[in-house]
Amino acid sequence: MMMIEIRDLVFEYPGHRALCGVSLSIAAGSITALVGPNGAGKTTLLRCMAALETPYAGHVAIEGLDTRDAPRAIHARLGYLPDFFGLYDALSVRRCLHYAARAHGIAPHEAAGAAQAAAARVGLADRMEQAAGALSRGLRQRLAIAQAIVHRPAVLLLDEPAAGLDPQARRDLSELLLSLRAGGMTLVVSSHILAELEDYSDRMVIVDHGRIAGGQSIALKAGTHLRIRLAAARGDLKDFLSGQGLTVAEASADHALVTMAGGPPQKAALLAALIQAGFAVMEFSEDTRALEDVYFEQVKSQVESKGAAP
Amino acid sequence: MNPELQRNLWLEATPFRLALIAGLLMLVFLATSVAPMGLATRSGAARTLYWFFAVLWGTRSAALSVVAEIRERTWDGQKLSAIAPWQMVWGKLFGATAANWFGALLCLPFVLLPVWQNQGLAATLTYGIILLSLGVFAQAIALLSSLVLIRRNTGNWRLDIFLCQVAGICAAFAYYTLWERGGSQTLNWWGHAFNLSSFHLVSLLVFLAWALVGCWRAMRAELRVANGPYVWLAYLAYLSFYNAGFQLPVGRHWDIAALYPGEVKLVLAEIALLASAYGMAFLEPKDPVRLRWLGEQLRAGQFYKAFLAADAWMLSYGAALLVGLLLAVVSAALAQPLALPVLAMLGFLTRDVAIFVLMRSIAGAKGDFAALAVLGALYLLLPMIFGGVHSGAWISMFLPFPPSSLGVLLAWAQGAVCAVWAARSIARDQPTAKDAVDQSQ
Repeated sequence: MMMIEIRDLVFEYPGHRALCGVSLSIAAGSITALVGPNGAGKTTLLRCMAALETPYAGHVAIEGLDTRDAPRAIHARLGYLPDFFGLYDALSVRRCLHYAARAHGIAPHEAAGAAQAAAARVGLADRMEQAAGALSRGLRQRLAIAQAIVHRPAVLLLDEPAAGLDPQARRDLSELLLSLRAGGMTLVVSSHILAELEDYSDRMVIVDHGRIAGGQSIALKAGTHLRIRLAAARGDLKDFLSGQGLTVAEASADHALVTMAGGPPQKAALLAALIQAGFAVMEFSEDTRALEDVYFEQVKSQVESKGAAP
Repeated sequence: MNPELQRNLWLEATPFRLALIAGLLMLVFLATSVAPMGLATRSGAARTLYWFFAVLWGTRSAALSVVAEIRERTWDGQKLSAIAPWQMVWGKLFGATAANWFGALLCLPFVLLPVWQNQGLAATLTYGIILLSLGVFAQAIALLSSLVLIRRNTGNWRLDIFLCQVAGICAAFAYYTLWERGGSQTLNWWGHAFNLSSFHLVSLLVFLAWALVGCWRAMRAELRVANGPYVWLAYLAYLSFYNAGFQLPVGRHWDIAALYPGEVKLVLAEIALLASAYGMAFLEPKDPVRLRWLGEQLRAGQFYKAFLAADAWMLSYGAALLVGLLLAVVSAALAQPLALPVLAMLGFLTRDVAIFVLMRSIAGAKGDFAALAVLGALYLLLPMIFGGVHSGAWISMFLPFPPSSLGVLLAWAQGAVCAVWAARSIARDQPTAKDAVDQSQ
């Protein structure tokens, strides 16, 4: 089931077209990463999904509701964390969350419980009486997310949620996003930090110059990326790897990038199979840059296709 | 409780702030009771402080209730809430000003006490209603102004708040002055005699209601709820009717006694509509993207859709045009001299509205002030120059008087040229894919 449907979305600022006919479907219960260079249109796309902006043309539907026809109904169904969010610094965490709960339509007698539950979910339960303005950057981020999820929305949109966070806070954020997905929420996360997206994203959408590079989202397979280089080129390398049940991200006669599930025994077995098949393996290593390669490949092909256009 | 009101009370009506206000007021009243000096009597001080709390400071609090949300980046969160527009309006209007009202209400008994002692209960009640209404009116105007200004996205929040304060304070002082000067005089409105003070009081209450409706509509727009044109059209109808009830002031270019009563009413209604058209053409954003979208709807034959999405300035312009044409037809049919100047004036109106659109398209948010400068030159400087060099005939190019057929033609020619120019400018604004830029607010 698709939770978010975007069709031919066009959005303009005076003199600038920020989105040029974007079409995209996002499945319920998934985490989709929006990536792309600054100024690509990610924030505008998120704001259109949140029914905060009215598109020039095209449609955005959340759970079948069009953002143009039913913006308030959509607002009730989603949570949104802007890239530069604000908090009521003078209020305590408890009051911030209580207000967020009430503002999202939670009944007065249930608001305190909802606030407590949201705080517990983001690890702020022990700081309920602390003023929001006294929290660290990471804790403020958690409070902002708690405000966005206090009403248990069906869709959560996060714009650069990891920006400015330390490594531990980023790991906590990844775990939080995965737990929200496990609870049935659909998440769309815009980010610059490609390496972390693989930890929690199901699909990646590359936005560039107001379009989706490649025209669609890219599935991110869970597992390890392996780079294989041969001392002597063999034309059947790709077929061999595919025959082993691996996902081949890229391949040539002397090198390949594959994604494989499993741990060290599976890697050892693959290496043994390659050697047994007579491949002169000179490099067999994990590649943490795999996602970046996919990203740059897509962006590069988009630039080339534009250059080829009359 | 309304969550927006509750949040504002948490932030604005803190025990410390309330205690400080109460303590300071107590000291002021004690000092002015024990040692009154000149105007610094207890009731005089209370009246001054009431104005300070309810109007001077209250307008700032009301304007900040929205502008501060944008400045502190909490406005998106509010827009995504389930709080209804009307709840949001009164939650902000009375919540953000809670401390102001606390101080003002502490002052009010000391203001009303001498009125009750000298003039009795009825006068006390009337004065109390006036003061309370003026406070809410000033704050509602400030809130409404802030909701209008944030759509213009000037980025200068200090200036925005100052302008909102000025709007609220001016509205309150203007009405208070009118009411105070009324005394026992009578006013003829639609042929009926009214006590002037009572008339101003009722007018204030009705305009207060319209100001609250305006806040509600502006808040709906912020929360992405479509407004439709009908409430604004109803306001224009009310404004025309209200203004048409008065007497036409004496003018250099017309003889009031020679005009038919119905004609006078149309003139007065047209004056109100012209003021509305110019005011809204200045205040509203006139976003070229939105105008291009409206143009596409019209080209596609979606007239009703375009009508439903029309901005207030478009509706005001349309209403001014219609009533003006009616006035010209009536005047011509009655062989009155108003037909030509009214037709010329409508041509100038078309030109001026097009200049606002054009300047906005060229210069962005600062275009409205550029348009004012251009209009200043067209209505003041150029007539002075042509008048100075004794080319009086050319004044018809800039003013609807003295009436002439050539003047009408020249005015409409300017209107047509400016309208086409503005339309072309909006069409040129259409970006190409290369212009794709992400601009988050």
